[in-house]
Amino acid sequence: MFSRRDGVPHWPLHVLLTGFTLFTLYPILWVITIAFSGKQSLAIATIPEEPSFLDQVRAVMPWPETWSFSNFVSVMRDQPFGQWMFNSAVIALGTTVVGVFLACTAAYAFSRFKFAGQRAGMMAFLVSQMFPGTLMLIPLYIILVQWLGLGSSRFGLMIVYATTSIPFSVWMLKGYFDTIPKDLEEAALIEGASVGKIFWTIILPLAKPAVAVTALFSFMTSWNEFILAATFMDQETMYTAPVGLRFFVGGFSQQWGYFAAGSIIVSVPVVVLFLFLQKYLVSGLTAGSVKG
Amino acid sequence: MAPQRTGDEQNDVAAHALGERGHTQALHSTGGRPSGGSSGPGAPHRGRVFVGLSLALGLSLAIAHGLLAGALDKMSTERADRQSLVSLRALEDLVQRAGGSGDAVRAVVSTWKEQLPPGSAVRVIAFSGIQLEASTFPEDQGERAAPRRLSREEKPLYDRGQRLRAAVETNREEGSARKLEVETEALPDGRRLLSAPVEVDGSVVGMVELATAPLAAPLKPGMLATLAFFLVPLAVCGAAAFVVRRQGLLVAMSVVLLAAGLGGYVSYSLGTLGSEVHATQTLVASQLQAMAQRAQAVMAERQLAAEPALQPGNWDADQFRRPLGLVTPAGEVNEAVVSARVAELRSGAGRALGGLGALALAVLLFIGMGGLARTVETVVEYRTAYLYIAPAMVGMLVLVFFPFFYGITLSFTDSNLYNTGQALSDIWVGLRNYVEILGDFNIARRAQDGSLVFNYLNFYYTLFFTVVWTVTNVTIGVTVGLALALMLNVQGLALRPVYRVLLILPWAMPNYITALIWKGMFHQQFGVVNHVIRMFGGQGLAWYDTPTTSFLTALATNGWLSFPFMMVVSLGALTSIPNELYEAARVDGASRWQQFKSITLPSLKPALVPAVILSVVWTFNMFNIIFLVTEGEPSNSTEILVTQAYKFAFQRYRYGYAAAYSTVIFGILLLYSVVQNRMSRATEAA
Repeated sequence: MFSRRDGVPHWPLHVLLTGFTLFTLYPILWVITIAFSGKQSLAIATIPEEPSFLDQVRAVMPWPETWSFSNFVSVMRDQPFGQWMFNSAVIALGTTVVGVFLACTAAYAFSRFKFAGQRAGMMAFLVSQMFPGTLMLIPLYIILVQWLGLGSSRFGLMIVYATTSIPFSVWMLKGYFDTIPKDLEEAALIEGASVGKIFWTIILPLAKPAVAVTALFSFMTSWNEFILAATFMDQETMYTAPVGLRFFVGGFSQQWGYFAAGSIIVSVPVVVLFLFLQKYLVSGLTAGSVKG
Repeated sequence: MAPQRTGDEQNDVAAHALGERGHTQALHSTGGRPSGGSSGPGAPHRGRVFVGLSLALGLSLAIAHGLLAGALDKMSTERADRQSLVSLRALEDLVQRAGGSGDAVRAVVSTWKEQLPPGSAVRVIAFSGIQLEASTFPEDQGERAAPRRLSREEKPLYDRGQRLRAAVETNREEGSARKLEVETEALPDGRRLLSAPVEVDGSVVGMVELATAPLAAPLKPGMLATLAFFLVPLAVCGAAAFVVRRQGLLVAMSVVLLAAGLGGYVSYSLGTLGSEVHATQTLVASQLQAMAQRAQAVMAERQLAAEPALQPGNWDADQFRRPLGLVTPAGEVNEAVVSARVAELRSGAGRALGGLGALALAVLLFIGMGGLARTVETVVEYRTAYLYIAPAMVGMLVLVFFPFFYGITLSFTDSNLYNTGQALSDIWVGLRNYVEILGDFNIARRAQDGSLVFNYLNFYYTLFFTVVWTVTNVTIGVTVGLALALMLNVQGLALRPVYRVLLILPWAMPNYITALIWKGMFHQQFGVVNHVIRMFGGQGLAWYDTPTTSFLTALATNGWLSFPFMMVVSLGALTSIPNELYEAARVDGASRWQQFKSITLPSLKPALVPAVILSVVWTFNMFNIIFLVTEGEPSNSTEILVTQAYKFAFQRYRYGYAAAYSTVIFGILLLYSVVQNRMSRATEAA
């Protein structure tokens, strides 16, 4: 095994790592190739009747025969993908604003006040993370679609995402609020500031990094969510981007070009956000605050 | 910034913010002090009992009254609908005998018009030629009179017909009744519009529609009875409060009074409901008889086919065309079925009202024994904190905790697509779903050639598959992740940040996209994986045709998806090991393997164990991969528990069963977390 010691020859490591990285990147390259191929086909290259070995190699090389932006253009122009992206964006932004607001106030109370039911409340948030999605899905479907008539509505999906993201956000934010010294608030109190004022003008600005991470996290979760959206949105104009992408390649339609182009449009922002966020995520997750 | 608040409020706020208990208000001023009443020392408490009784009884009676009003309202709509449905079905029968289009149909409709109450209208649409065949609607007179082609703004009409046709065909194909075969719609002027498909020779050729006359006055429960059941117990309680001196006795009395008041109302409302059910059936039966006679007359007059014989009993059906059997084919009320239905209604309503009673009792005791006073006190004392928490808590209660408990309740019912409108108590089946899930050991049987045939819908098969899926995936994730982390951790390795970022990418991609990408790569004809196999002279595989290969596709996808997490976690732990440890070990002459075993692994453990625990739960619940990649193919053999539960709910529409299934999954997860907690505590202690 490789320990941290000088003298291990590096080149075999590089060979292994490069090989594995290529393997890892292959599916992504493959999608990029299809997206830029301008065709709807799954295959990267057309293979002749009697393919030579070179033709075969050509068929698996992630490099399009011709480069074209037509898939990107038509996915936005001829397909309702723009509408789906808009739905996703509205839902994800709404979720972020509502979810973070609810989580901030609750986390502040949990962090700063002592009150009856405090422990029980925190425990309830934690336990709620263990409820399996499918158990919640049926009642949520009945409540939202059949009782409230919020099927195929952006608002319905938004409030569901916002509330389900609360526990995780509260745990993350409470941890951060706890690290802000209480002296600041006491000083403000003596100056005559109200609790509301302290919260808005002192605590929130100080907690900006944590709030930002929580917000990005809620945004990403709702942007990537598939099952709830697939269950609640049954009108094509109300699809979110994930449901819409599945629509391109689900059932009998095989529009792989549109799917690939759409995937790239959807993933680039989240991938960037994610790379930016990952170190907070790892510490947040392994600290044991969340259980799937 | 000058403080704009009163001194009192400031102190108050300060006290809370600093976590001190401020005695804001005393118990006496917040408790339910009676408005009038005597002023003896026991008076506030007696008043409390009175207030408790009036609130509990008032609320429960108001709810019961609302329930009764709703039930009666539903019943009067149902009564009108069923009467109209009988007319509609009779007409449909005649139109069918007349061939669905042409002069014969128009003649039938014009004769039939005279049978209908004033204000109602019928029309017949034929799909061939998108034709309005016959109509007595006021807007279809004069130059718009039938027959004519439907105009553009009448497209909704045509669409409705096509929906009904599709529904009939779907139901026939699936051999079930899943889609409504009759549509009802409330018209803006209070009338109702019913539409039914017309079948000739086994195919849907058109539709008949009937607009009813405006509803007769809907049934309403009497206000007087409700008031009586409310006021009498209150009066008794009020009177008793002057006589009875002992608090306990007074509480016991108010409980009895509550039971009497609510019980009286329950028996009154059940009586009303029962008699209305009977009245409805009698009305429908007479309607059936009348319509059957008239239909016979029309058939004779117009010389329509008399075969098959007219079956008025079939007109008494629900909207899925399943016969209700409340009226016999001869047109008599089927007393046995009706009484059974009344009994069912009674027991259902009885249970619902029983629950209400329990609730009312709780309210009464809560207020009567002073619980409310204490709660109000607590809320006032910590009001700032509660104010901050309330929005989040309300959201969680409504959209997380309530659905959770509602889901568990659903698991004891036979809830499915057809009966979501019914009260839960009507479809209560107790533990039947659980027995069906956990008591079914029909996992596999021997086929004739001796091979094992699995029953893929069996719970234990799916559980076994889920465990295999979880264990293999976590093993792959940990092994690959750890190996990569060890490689990347070698000191002075060039390009390390580049490798690191590139290797994290699979984790960053949204996982539903990953799943669909891999599904495409495993496509039998065009997929890249099969191209590679062919490149080396092999034959492309049909990946989703056998359970093993199908499982491999999901495994590859999830393996690709899950190693970066483990890699990042292990890398974090590795970089935090101080270098001096290795140096000391080398000085002591430890081999590289010994160093790994006694330095690297133990230092990795605190980071890896939680990560493994976490990823076990994630993989166990990894819905997207299975749902999108294998889709359970072939024939549900690669479903994991969560996807199976989803399919029971949203493809087989067995909500209750799926809820029970999910509850079992919750139980398994809970058990896992308890065991895991114990174990980690034990290892910590050791």
